[in-house]
Amino acid sequence: MDADALSRPGRTAQRVGGALGAAAWFVAPFVTLVLAWAGAVWLFDVPVRVFPSPADVAGAFVQQVDSGVLGNHVWQSVRRVFVGGSLAMLTSIPLGVAISTNRAVSGFFTPVLRFFSVLAGIAWIPLATLWFGYGFGAITFIVFNAVFFVVVYNTILGVNRIPGVLRDAALSLGAGRWQVLTEVLLPGALPNIVTGIRTGMGFAWRGLIAAEIIATNAGLGYMVFLARDFYRTEVIVLGMIMIGAIWVAIDRLVLAPIERRTIERWGLTRRTA
Amino acid sequence: MGDGLIIRDLSKVYYDVYAGQHVAAVDRVSLQIATGEFVSILGPSGCGKTTLLNIVAGFIPPTHGEITLNGRRIQGPGPDRGVVFQSFALFPWKTVLDNVAFGLKMRGMPRDDRDRIAREYIALVGLAGSESRFPHELSGGMQQRVGVARVLANDPELMLMDEPFASVDAQTRMTLQEELTRIWEARQPTILFVTHDVEEAVFLANRVIVLSARPGRIRETLQVDLPRPRAWRDLVEDAAYKALVARVLSLVRTTPS
Amino acid sequence: MTRAGAVARHLIATPAARTLGPFVPIVAAWAMVVELGVFPRAFFPGPLEVVRAFGDLVYKGILPAYLQDSVTRLAVGAAAGIALGVPFGLLVGLHAASYRFFWPIVIFFQAIGDIAWLPILLIWFGFTLTTMTFVIVYTVIFPVIFNTALGVRTIAPDMVRAAQSLGAGSHRILWEVLVPGALPNIITGLRNGLGYGWRALIAAEIIVGTSGIGFMMFDARRAGSVVEMILGMIVLGILWYVVDAGIVAPLERATIERWGLTKREA
Repeated sequence: MDADALSRPGRTAQRVGGALGAAAWFVAPFVTLVLAWAGAVWLFDVPVRVFPSPADVAGAFVQQVDSGVLGNHVWQSVRRVFVGGSLAMLTSIPLGVAISTNRAVSGFFTPVLRFFSVLAGIAWIPLATLWFGYGFGAITFIVFNAVFFVVVYNTILGVNRIPGVLRDAALSLGAGRWQVLTEVLLPGALPNIVTGIRTGMGFAWRGLIAAEIIATNAGLGYMVFLARDFYRTEVIVLGMIMIGAIWVAIDRLVLAPIERRTIERWGLTRRTA
Repeated sequence: MGDGLIIRDLSKVYYDVYAGQHVAAVDRVSLQIATGEFVSILGPSGCGKTTLLNIVAGFIPPTHGEITLNGRRIQGPGPDRGVVFQSFALFPWKTVLDNVAFGLKMRGMPRDDRDRIAREYIALVGLAGSESRFPHELSGGMQQRVGVARVLANDPELMLMDEPFASVDAQTRMTLQEELTRIWEARQPTILFVTHDVEEAVFLANRVIVLSARPGRIRETLQVDLPRPRAWRDLVEDAAYKALVARVLSLVRTTPS
Repeated sequence: MTRAGAVARHLIATPAARTLGPFVPIVAAWAMVVELGVFPRAFFPGPLEVVRAFGDLVYKGILPAYLQDSVTRLAVGAAAGIALGVPFGLLVGLHAASYRFFWPIVIFFQAIGDIAWLPILLIWFGFTLTTMTFVIVYTVIFPVIFNTALGVRTIAPDMVRAAQSLGAGSHRILWEVLVPGALPNIITGLRNGLGYGWRALIAAEIIVGTSGIGFMMFDARRAGSVVEMILGMIVLGILWYVVDAGIVAPLERATIERWGLTKREA
């Protein structure tokens, strides 16, 4: 049999080519989509009032960036989701751990938490606007709410799925209760917690947009809804693309790698929520 | 009746990305299996025996060489070559009866006929009464019996068995091996049996083919003329059996000069 | 053991009791907080008032009508979402080239979210049922696609090979092996999809609505009637539980549990 051992430069070239290939594969569908979009608008002579062309949207993008309007809306939305989300995480994880220390207590709370998880976000909007008024308070409440229940639920799930033997092993090696918490429970529950955070942030982002439509005067949700009043479809579509792109960026570039690394690095398997 | 399985000059070559070179899993193997023969193939880990079986089954294409079964070239999987899997591969959403009748259903046989035939084979493998149970309710040994019945019911020209007893415990394995020889004596299917267990290979077969380590080539073929019916109780003491096992073992454990 | 004690013990063991039981102290705590006057009554009504409002609205026929509207919309949207999502999930799960091409697009559109489509939908279709249905279908379809694709991609290869070696053609393999094999994950997708669909429904009814539970909640907000808002939320939660326990769970039991299957994850 022939031995085609590649030379080192050959192998590097192959790897670079592979990476470029992967990037091309990722971009290609969107390029195709944009081309199809442009083609359809042109072919069917669609008026701007009904649907803008890629060129219209690009124009709107430039204009909004220049005037700083887009930047402001993006900043408001992202800021809200991270503030609300962080607050929720800081409260929900400890609470989840506390609840799960007692099996009876966690069994008791689980249906309640599931109930409230399903109500996440949007269903609270009417109540939130009444309690907190329009603006920052209500929005943060929605975001907080969306993340809080999901993360508590997943934290409890995560801690309860840790095999009892691990706790026993730690105790028989002289670990105190606090150490069992930090050395066994938290790391062991981490995959589920991280999954919960990722899911919760997803709910939070969607709830945020809805809340911005209804309850405030800045942010991406508000931007798309305002544009509707003036039939400025190119701004609407720009907003939609921004909403999608930002979430893809947050989820795929920040949250997913964290999730993957905690799971892969420690060779843990994820248990379903 | 036909010529049986004829493999001519079979090779399977992979490109190993990590090593950066081509690697032969199977290298210029030629062999024949006559109709009604029971042939075991074994060899050290990585000798390509499972690859060989998968090629004959039609799951992967060969790089080079020709395979004919009773005069027809093999191209892709088909009901003429039934496969018994190490993982059993029973359909969990079908009862034992429906699993065994599956091949007949694929052929378009009406329900009454195929259920009747399926029941015969379920009885043949000793599972009468379990027809309406689901696979997850059965033990490993029972599940593999269903796997065997499923293939037999389809009456293939060749039966391929891929380390079928590797996933059951040792005692069940011995029982299943004796069952298999009993079934073979009754029905005389043509069987190609892949295993890494030397004793199993000799116990079951008429002929044992030993492959070398990668790249897989045929090292030696041995005739097994032990009398049938075969039972573990008898063979464990038998001198001829022990000599064969020793010979095969030495072939498997040493590298060719 | 007295007879009453035995009966009580039997009742406590039922799944209904186990699920509803925890809510009893919560409702009790709620009532106490209200009695103590911690929050102004107008902002934070008690359970009794909610129950009274419930009875009132049922009597007037409003609640059942709204309920029917909401449930119908969800059912239609969910059915459409499943009818579209499962085949597409199968395609993307089975066909490598389709997967590579469509996957980034699917993820991107999911990220946009249903609500962000409302402005443009309102321009196209106005405040109509079409708009609401679109939103619900849009929400249901993504979990269904993801889970169907995952389910079909993680089927044991031996299962497919076994079918091939028993004479099954591609068409047969799809129906006899792939779809049943993916079923646990498809049902998960259905469950998640329905959950998301509920939320989308409420949002759509709030923004677009002329009827339905979501509309009732937002309308109540305008009237400052917190009672109806809370009632709406409770009704939502209960309905979700009914759908889950009454539709999805029996489905699981008839298929997954009966066949002894487990969910596979990526």
